[in-house]
Amino acid sequence: MQIGSEQVWLHMAQYNLEGCQSVDLAEHPSGIVPTLQNIVSTVNLGCKLDLKIIALQARNAEYNPKVCTGAKSEEQSKLAARKYARVVQKVGFQAQFMDFKVQNVVASCDVKFPIRLERLALHHNAFCSFEPEIFPGLIYRMKDPKIVLLIFVSGKIVLTGAKSRDQIKRGFEQIYPVVLEYRKVPQIGNEGKDSRDPVPRQLT
Amino acid sequence: MADAFCPDCKRNTETVFDHSAGDTVCSECGLVLEAHSIDETSEWRTFANESADNDPVRVGGPSNPLLTDGGLSTVISKPNGGSSDFLSSSLGRWQNRGSNPDRSLIIAFRTIATMADRLGLVAIIKDRANEIYKKVEDLKSIRGRNQDAILAACLYIACRQEDRPRTVKEICSVANGATKKEIGRAKEFIVKQLEVEMGRSMEMGTIHAGDFLRRFCSHLGMTNHAVKAAQEAVQKSEELDIRRSPISIAAAVIYMITQLSDDKKPLKDISLATGVAEGTIRNSYKDLYPYASRLIPTSFAKEQDLKNLCSP
Repeated sequence: MQIGSEQVWLHMAQYNLEGCQSVDLAEHPSGIVPTLQNIVSTVNLGCKLDLKIIALQARNAEYNPKVCTGAKSEEQSKLAARKYARVVQKVGFQAQFMDFKVQNVVASCDVKFPIRLERLALHHNAFCSFEPEIFPGLIYRMKDPKIVLLIFVSGKIVLTGAKSRDQIKRGFEQIYPVVLEYRKVPQIGNEGKDSRDPVPRQLT
Repeated sequence: MADAFCPDCKRNTETVFDHSAGDTVCSECGLVLEAHSIDETSEWRTFANESADNDPVRVGGPSNPLLTDGGLSTVISKPNGGSSDFLSSSLGRWQNRGSNPDRSLIIAFRTIATMADRLGLVAIIKDRANEIYKKVEDLKSIRGRNQDAILAACLYIACRQEDRPRTVKEICSVANGATKKEIGRAKEFIVKQLEVEMGRSMEMGTIHAGDFLRRFCSHLGMTNHAVKAAQEAVQKSEELDIRRSPISIAAAVIYMITQLSDDKKPLKDISLATGVAEGTIRNSYKDLYPYASRLIPTSFAKEQDLKNLCSP
């Protein structure tokens, strides 16, 4: 938990709840549910805090500008925020609990088939940035909802920049048909190129 | 001696060109047919080892549309011998007031030119890089970033736009002090700025292993036959599901091809020429090895030669 003068930033932790429960296809037409990995939220404690005193007096508190990680879901995030507000209260400050807001939700999932990133980058040039030298994943900046997806050759996708679980869900449902279009067909004995490929390869 | 029509003799007569006077004279009647001919041959010869103070050139370089006024300027030159004191005191100071509005641009262009010369890039790429830098240079957001990284990124983008991509590592090697990460970030930043300015997204295709193959092979001194085989192999490798950077794939293909030929290049040489670490080449070779028979064209190596290929 990071404590600034009034606002408290909570970075909540990793967790791997591999969904073994059955998927509601009305909710998730793709049949895949992204698992949440990280939630960042802020809360306004409403009073000035002296960081040194809190660092010395409170248990489990480190005055360290680096981020510490924590939570599992939005509810746990809120619970943790309340607990820390209580801790700060015990130290002696008049802490309140105002404007709790989730700032960032990160999720990941796996479509279970390899993806042709280069072609995806070619056809969706306006949204994609793919630099294999710099980073092996394709960076897809979706406009609505406004989230960023990291798409990898293996079929794993990371979604970030969302403000809510619903944005993650919508974003993933939108990208799934796109990614299906660029599925890599296993090449054993199959040398044929995609007949839809309009881009001629040139030899230097 | 030439034939021209003489108005006095009223027929074609032999004419003589007198170089000293610049006259074309009819050899029969002596009439001057053309006077004041302009000699277009070179006025003087310049040698590299001669001193630079006696340079008789009266003109400057070509006009650069990127600079204000096309880069015109007038400088007060040093008087011969004698009064060097006078110059450095008043005139010299006035001269060096630093009124040139393009000072930073000119310095940046010079840096880009130095980097481009080190890589042996042509003027087209240099000019493209200058244009890109000019578009980005007056944005305030530039100031915070590493200037070397920005210039290196301009050069990198120019190479990509001209379809002659250079690996980021190659650009790194000539950019002083910019790391691969900084250049990558600067490149993303510049691309975003350019897209905002142009109002449409930039056409910069993804890199392919084939783009770099020719250059890497020539650094290593491979035969034409080997180079062609390598190009074919790289084409075929695009259809396979190999999850490696295109540069690593190019390096591994070169390694495979050279191992099959008589002229085996050691891993160290390939690593130096491509900029890929030896361990990475080994790992990429491991990924490529199962498909060797499909990649290598039969014109280059037969099945049994492939069996001789060392297992990774």
